Amino acid sequence: MDLMLSSDQEAIQASVRAFLENELPMARVRELAHAGPAALALLWRAAGELGFFGLAVPEARGGAGYAITEEMVLFEEIGRSLAPGPWLGTVLAARALAAGAAEHSDLARIVAGDLRVALVDATSAASSILVRGNEVSGESGYVSDADAGTAFLVVAAHAIVYVAAGSGAEVEPRPSFDPTRGIARVRFQAVRGALLADGAGAVADVLRVATVLSCAEAVGGIQRTVEMSVEYCKVRRQFDKPIGSFQAVKHRCADMAVRAEVARSATTYAVVSVRDAADDQDFQVSVAKILCSGGYVQNAADNVQNHGGMGFTWECDAHLFVKRARSFDVALGSRLEQLDKLAGWF
Amino acid sequence: MDITFTPDEERFRARAREWIEANKPSDPPAENDIEARREFDLAWQRRMHAAGWAGISWPKEYGGRGASLMEQLIWYEEFASAGAHDPSTLFVGLNHGGPTLIACGSEAQKSFHLPKILRGEVVWCQGFSEPGAGSDLGSLAARAVVDGDDLVVTGQKIWTSFAQIAEFQELLVRTDPDAPKHKGITWVICPMDAKGMEIRPIRTMAGHQDFCEVFYDEVRIPRANIVGQINDGWRVAMSTLGFERGTAFLSEQVRLTRMVGELIELARRTPLGGVAPGGADGAKRAIDDSDVARRLALLRAEVEALRAMTYRSVSRTARTGVPSSEASLIRIFFSELQQRVHGLAMEILGPQILEWDAEEGPASAEEGARRKRIRETWVFRYLLSFASTIAAGSKDIQRNIIGERVLGLPR
Repeated sequence: MDLMLSSDQEAIQASVRAFLENELPMARVRELAHAGPAALALLWRAAGELGFFGLAVPEARGGAGYAITEEMVLFEEIGRSLAPGPWLGTVLAARALAAGAAEHSDLARIVAGDLRVALVDATSAASSILVRGNEVSGESGYVSDADAGTAFLVVAAHAIVYVAAGSGAEVEPRPSFDPTRGIARVRFQAVRGALLADGAGAVADVLRVATVLSCAEAVGGIQRTVEMSVEYCKVRRQFDKPIGSFQAVKHRCADMAVRAEVARSATTYAVVSVRDAADDQDFQVSVAKILCSGGYVQNAADNVQNHGGMGFTWECDAHLFVKRARSFDVALGSRLEQLDKLAGWF
Repeated sequence: MDITFTPDEERFRARAREWIEANKPSDPPAENDIEARREFDLAWQRRMHAAGWAGISWPKEYGGRGASLMEQLIWYEEFASAGAHDPSTLFVGLNHGGPTLIACGSEAQKSFHLPKILRGEVVWCQGFSEPGAGSDLGSLAARAVVDGDDLVVTGQKIWTSFAQIAEFQELLVRTDPDAPKHKGITWVICPMDAKGMEIRPIRTMAGHQDFCEVFYDEVRIPRANIVGQINDGWRVAMSTLGFERGTAFLSEQVRLTRMVGELIELARRTPLGGVAPGGADGAKRAIDDSDVARRLALLRAEVEALRAMTYRSVSRTARTGVPSSEASLIRIFFSELQQRVHGLAMEILGPQILEWDAEEGPASAEEGARRKRIRETWVFRYLLSFASTIAAGSKDIQRNIIGERVLGLPR
């Protein structure tokens, strides 16, 4: 039993963090959110060169042959930096294509970072999508980071379909509440894709991985809110003292650190449960989502409070985490839905 | 990363489970019968010792089990999930006094005291807090002056659990009033039958008398009882507090997970509001209420996260070899979670919590037993749970520790 990072995982963490800190300081994150798909394409290729998208793809299929534990490390760093773009969809598509029996020519391009793939959760209430054979029809709202150039991984009730870019899906970008995560309505009118897997079991497998990796992303964001607050409370002075020396502020920071450790522990345990296909993996994933959602929303709020008047401005980065916490919560089964799921198992 | 245990560890688990199941004592005495609790706990300790399970974390050379960190984790998990009686009157000896002697005691102190603690022959208590030195323990004022071969102690201690049934006390006294406050303290073994001591039990808000005030009027303690050097007691004491915040809390955490399971059962059995209108069958149950169900679900998720947090902490300690300040993160989360669990129990039970001696007088013996169970399992423990954010470093001090030592915020 060991829930700490291995030295390999620490090396992945250091390399991803170095890359993202260099490529994506917050000023660049804000630019990218408005720069459009072309700017994202450069970032994607650089990430592809570093192997971000093929961590859990078998070596024989052009990946690194690691597992979801290493993907967790990647997503935590992505969440820390609020990196824009469909990271989750792209990683899941690489996994799904690599798991498919037939070779698909897009796999190599996805792993290389030449293609971005948006995740369409057709099991959500905001989707009317139906899949028949390899044909996708209907529409989904609130699809993250989709644009005219993205491909789609459509996860429906009983089927997983990969829809290549330019296959005829209509993408209608919508103004987004979360400035670092775009949303779009996506319509499919009898669009043909590649059926990668069918059956409720295969769908549950993908959604489980998606949910727990989104939790890892949240863990990174939660940790970043602690760091931002601590950095600020050490330097911001009032009454001739750093505000972090006042217990009201110090104790709020301590509570933030507790939530970060709780979220990280639950997520790590859930990730390893999923890797091992443990009997209680669904329960563990719900636990992680519940603690990450609650922790992220509260930490992001506390971080605004710690920054005082500055925290309420658009200029201060604190609000970006508030919005990311909310967009994380509502996707892939919200905290409330997870609580009801747990209660249903009583 | 790994959430499974090795085949050796699983075999250890099977042996522990089998032994605990076959040997755990039943029908512990009432919380209020402190003498009976002492004898019950000592007998249980002797049984564990005879079978080689005593002092699970103590090194083998001192008669302990010498279990690895993972085995300790497994032992505490099995102990708590079997619902085995926690010998709480022996906590200080097994988890503070003994480990402190192992770390800092002389050979003579070790060979005299350690076997007695381990074999279940003696009870230890802790003389740290004073009326004027609680969270600010370093300002303690009980004085000791050297007189020949003795220390002569005058002063007062408070919140000393089990002083009235203990043979020995780990006692902190000020031996150099002129030194900076952490430099003039000495850690000494005080025999509780020494002349000049007076013990007054204090009734807690839960109604029982676990802890005491202890008064010292020129109490003579041999200098040979000093552990470590004179005036070096703060360092010695910090090694004990490290133990207190370390693995010793594991079984409490597992026990809390069990409590949540029992709380879910309680919500299944109890009508919403605690009492069915007119005692009617088929009334809506507490668990059928979506608010109650979601709060139970949250507690269920939180105790699970607590377990993951503990596993992470044990993993970290296994690598570094020392318990870290991060233990305060777990302590805060655990103690407040425990209070939420017991608070929800009060809401589920409804007005039946109000009758204190409810087992007296109901029509059937079965109903009397049910009411007694409610009072002991839920009402009493709800009141006890108030102590968990005060004892062993209040939650406010824990938050200071996190803020200053973990996050590096200024004092």
